[in-house]
Amino acid sequence: MSDATQAASGATATLRRAFHYRDLEKAGATFKTVTDASVAWSYGDGQKAETAAASTLGIADLSPLPRTGYKGRDIAKWLTKQKLKVGDASNQAYPCGKGSLAAKLAPGEVVILGAIDGSDPLPEKLDAAWTDKNGLCFAVPRRDASFWFMITGTRTSDMFAKICGVDLRPKSFANHAIAQTSVARSNAIIIRDDLGKVPAFHILSDSASASYMWMCLLDAMQEFGGRPVGLQTVLSLCK
Amino acid sequence: MTTARNRLPERSGEWVDRSSTVNFSFDGTSYQGFEGDTIASALAAHDRWILSRSFKYRRPRGVLTMAGQDANTLVQLPDEPNVLADTRLISNGLRVEGQNFDGSLENDRGAYMGLFSKFLPVGFYYKTFFRPRGAWKLWEPIVRARAGLGKVNEKAHHGYYDKAYGWYDVVVIGGGPAGMAAAATVAKAGGDVLLVEENVQLGGSLAYARFDADGKKADAELSRLKAGLDGVTVMTGAICNGWFPDNWLPIIQGNRLYKIRAKHVVLATGSIEQPMVFHNNDLPGIMQASAAQRLIRQYGVKPGNRAVIATANADGYATALDLKQAGCEVAAVLDLRDQPTNGAVVTAARDNGIPVFAGYTAYEALATKGNKHIRAVKSAKITGRGECRDGADTFECDLLCMATGYSPTHHLLSHAGGEVGYDGQSSMFCVREVPDGITIAGSLNGSYDLDAVIAEGCFAGWTAAKAVGLKSGRQPRVPNDRGSLNQSHPWPIFPHPKGKDFIDYDEDLQVRDIQNAIKEGYEHIELVKRYSTVGMGPSQGRHSALTSVRLTADETGQDIEEIGRTTSRPPFTAETFGVLAGRAFEPVRHTAMHHRHAELGAQMMPAGLWMRPAYYGAKADRNAAIEAEAVNVRTNVGLIDVSTLGGLEIRGPDAAEFMNRMYTFAYLKQPVGRSRYVLLTDETGVIADDGVACRFAENHFYVTATTGGVDNVYRSMLWRNAQWRLDVDVTNVTAAYAGVNIAGPKSREVLAKVCTDIDLSAEAFAYMEIRTGTVAGIPARLLRVGFVGELGYEIHVPSGQGEALWDAMLEAGQDAGIRPFGVEAQRMLRLEKGHIIISQDTDGLTIPQEAGMAWAISRKKPYFVGGRSIDIQVARGVERELVGFEIADTSVPAPEECHLTVRGQEIVGRVTSAVRSPNLGKTVGLAYVAPDQTEPGTEIDIKIDGGRIIKGQVVKLPFYDPDGARQEM
Amino acid sequence: MKILNCPLNGPRNISEFICAGEVEVEPDPNRCSNAEWAEYIFLHDNDAGVVQEWWCHVPTAYWFIVERNNLTDEILRTFPSTEIFTKRQEYSRPDQEAS
Repeated sequence: MSDATQAASGATATLRRAFHYRDLEKAGATFKTVTDASVAWSYGDGQKAETAAASTLGIADLSPLPRTGYKGRDIAKWLTKQKLKVGDASNQAYPCGKGSLAAKLAPGEVVILGAIDGSDPLPEKLDAAWTDKNGLCFAVPRRDASFWFMITGTRTSDMFAKICGVDLRPKSFANHAIAQTSVARSNAIIIRDDLGKVPAFHILSDSASASYMWMCLLDAMQEFGGRPVGLQTVLSLCK
Repeated sequence: MTTARNRLPERSGEWVDRSSTVNFSFDGTSYQGFEGDTIASALAAHDRWILSRSFKYRRPRGVLTMAGQDANTLVQLPDEPNVLADTRLISNGLRVEGQNFDGSLENDRGAYMGLFSKFLPVGFYYKTFFRPRGAWKLWEPIVRARAGLGKVNEKAHHGYYDKAYGWYDVVVIGGGPAGMAAAATVAKAGGDVLLVEENVQLGGSLAYARFDADGKKADAELSRLKAGLDGVTVMTGAICNGWFPDNWLPIIQGNRLYKIRAKHVVLATGSIEQPMVFHNNDLPGIMQASAAQRLIRQYGVKPGNRAVIATANADGYATALDLKQAGCEVAAVLDLRDQPTNGAVVTAARDNGIPVFAGYTAYEALATKGNKHIRAVKSAKITGRGECRDGADTFECDLLCMATGYSPTHHLLSHAGGEVGYDGQSSMFCVREVPDGITIAGSLNGSYDLDAVIAEGCFAGWTAAKAVGLKSGRQPRVPNDRGSLNQSHPWPIFPHPKGKDFIDYDEDLQVRDIQNAIKEGYEHIELVKRYSTVGMGPSQGRHSALTSVRLTADETGQDIEEIGRTTSRPPFTAETFGVLAGRAFEPVRHTAMHHRHAELGAQMMPAGLWMRPAYYGAKADRNAAIEAEAVNVRTNVGLIDVSTLGGLEIRGPDAAEFMNRMYTFAYLKQPVGRSRYVLLTDETGVIADDGVACRFAENHFYVTATTGGVDNVYRSMLWRNAQWRLDVDVTNVTAAYAGVNIAGPKSREVLAKVCTDIDLSAEAFAYMEIRTGTVAGIPARLLRVGFVGELGYEIHVPSGQGEALWDAMLEAGQDAGIRPFGVEAQRMLRLEKGHIIISQDTDGLTIPQEAGMAWAISRKKPYFVGGRSIDIQVARGVERELVGFEIADTSVPAPEECHLTVRGQEIVGRVTSAVRSPNLGKTVGLAYVAPDQTEPGTEIDIKIDGGRIIKGQVVKLPFYDPDGARQEM
Repeated sequence: MKILNCPLNGPRNISEFICAGEVEVEPDPNRCSNAEWAEYIFLHDNDAGVVQEWWCHVPTAYWFIVERNNLTDEILRTFPSTEIFTKRQEYSRPDQEAS
């Protein structure tokens, strides 16, 4: 049995992992536990090279990190009750909690992305507070339904232009704008969420397609020198 | 290696890099050219002119346009047929071959075809090979062998092709003077602008033509315009191959297809110089004047040593000056006009001592042996339209340049719905109407005076900038005289009694072919095209449309201005399948346990976008593996990954009402904690999907759907509720849940090891009941189901923990002898239970009553999708019914899916599923039969491979455990 | 490729959408004649001119209505279906009171 197998059946069975963790292993990832998740922390060839890549074009897997979602006509009422300030406009993300992001997909649908360092308990708190007594407002298991990648760097929109028909260039697609569209023939949610001065985008899509999309993105990134980067590197860009 | 005897001294601005030599071969001979040379230019430098043989008569053909606009230059590369030799750059080691010949390009054994031209009349395909009846069968292999161009290398290496999107305020197509001026104007206004040029360098006519006596203006203007392109995105070597709605432009550059969206488009696509028509006008050495100029200016190649120029505009004289400067003697300029215009260039030509013959034409070209090259031109005095008097001078020459007119490159404009007509005054096609969102400039717009063209480019840029909301500043001025007149001769067509007066080089069509087509009654220009095939070759009428319209007008007596022209559709030029395909994006979905299946040696099969294990084990052991997996479920315990099942959450006060309307069964009174079968019919009553509905709370149903059907089910649920407006929310959670089905008599004891918070006893957790709890510490939804007909549980967990669940179940079942089973074993097991699979045992017309599913329809509710349609069809009577059948004799071959059930000569139905069951010891299956054959015991005839009829016996379903005792234990 | 302006997602390439045909009024399935029902199911007006059609933005499964001139393929207006389907639809059997 491989290490991975032991990890799955052993004591760490409850640790969240990426849906395509084998692809990350193959790419040389080393993992670190962040909250209840085992996250690709770095790729072992030096922080400097990774940081340089992340500034031009890097892809990080954030899939195991906390997030949640709500759906139904009455979500706005409930979010207000939870003291979250989420605006009316759809396809717009609203910072909330301590580093979390509320991505409003439609008047009746929101995704809450936890802070990418895993430090904000907001997603868990919301899920714990949720009951079925809030009218049409229902929890959506976003952590299992979707993978979560972050693509960073100045060439991100050039790369996206090869696999996505929506204009994501910084001048056309503002920070915190959302596009729900087709990426490499899969339905996906794209959220721009710059890291300091570095353009950055979250991409969420069907968790079962994680491996497929990871490969598609790496292929599209190749001509710009893009590569996988660890969460450590992504966090360093925020500073 | 031959010497490049036609190579001129280096000059600045040329497209070849003399410091870098390139070796390649053509038809087995080695040649050396320079980096930047095209195949044709490098060969021309070596005085090699024959590039191909013509399609029908196998006549030698050479350079015509040097602009990639004709089929004369189509050559074969090892992995690529039909490459344009006049635009494809040479590279070291490139092996180029000719096309369309037997033997060698220079000496084609098929050249005798030219002798038969009298016997290959227009429409000969339609006439010759179809009589007598059956003749085509004889002729087809011969014609096929001779038809087509080039050879496909089926073993060619797969290149990397891809696509990219792009967005601009303005896209300018055409990097000539008008296009460059337009793009610069938009950029200056702050616009995001893309300039697309087909050639490897910008310039258009500035890169080859001469606009003044001393030949300096073109270079000067080119440098000036290029310098103004700051802020413009420039793509060279890029072809915009069509226009699609809302300014969507496919632009091909190398192996990449750009899909560009523009807010506004400026078309500055220029014009195409048109050939003259006279006897032997296709010989190598006869080319457009612009082609000779391109050879000289762009590639530093002298196109000939002694030239004759036939012209009707100043460009012919400019070419004469260029040739003379390049060291080529100009024997004569034959000006088709009685009174040539004056102008600086014309005057300079005369001043240079170039002999000019006004009112004369080239009437006949004389060839060297084998029609390999021009050797002389017979001139003639023009006496009327298309008529001339023989007997004038014959000029020896090795080059004849034709400069008698232009035709606008209107193709993209036509794709966009722009109108093109014929203008009698300028004797040219002209643009009559430009659609919204597009502006045109330059010679596409009939402008030929350079200053006017540039001014018009600025104006087009200004217009575009304004249209997209930029601050465009003051409106630029455009001169009134744009130089449209005296560019094109109205009738440069001189038919010859001996023919070979080609109007379409691609198809070897001569003047009489068009005349005959019309005489045979094909009078409309579209019919002339289809019957004669004029304009249907690779160059798509770029050189033949004008002549064929003129001839059609003449023959039919129609007004040429009213005759119109044939429709132009994308693509503008040939594109490869690789470019169209790009990267093949084929999403593949993996379940959480995917890699475990691989580790266990599963053979995977696609199910919709998903991959599922078909069975576990080597391919060679397929049947044994499936059998063993199935038997283990019946006797022991098995585990199957069911994560691919669709999952939908239906939540809200109207959840039950919504279920009641969507599905055929009754759900209002379904108890919480129980599941119920769901059958979905579409509006016509046809079965569309099935699954189970689990009621976890009064207001909450968790509904499964088929692997391939869930996306459509989800979409149709939302569509229905957009109309019903029920108080309910529908969420597709397919990917959020992984699932297994643990089935077999020992499944309870195995599950009990890892599930301690649910009472699993038969009394506490009965068949068709559902529970929530934890399995191996993982939060889970448990469903007692019976798809395979044994005691069994479906366990649905968050997909992030699917792999852990799988591992835990296999470990827990180790002592009991658990083994995973795949889709194939599951199909066998469900068939033994008589359960149908939607779309295997049903088709696009099956209503529930035909599939024995009447029990799943509630008669008491007021509505469900498809209900009324089912009522109407049932009242009319069904014509087939699905029944179970068995064949006890296992020595009889088992029927396969889609084998027919017959009664005498009549087809009554078909087998939908059949299997030789190891558990039952006989062959069982499902089949559609006539309604009077459904009684158990009825014998049915099944027609299997080879037309053999075998007997099956209708039996009551299910085949296995009819009382359901095993699944309910 | 045409652009379609989705009321939820804004202008997008039309390849992100599917069309489900004209907006039609379902006759009362419990009271209409067989012929009326068959007409609704199988026969479509196919009018030349301005029509209202159901379209769905596939990535979001969002349904809305498009007003389109099918002679010119000009899209005149797109709007949420709630403009037309304003209230809860009820069904009742013939032996029940029609609502």
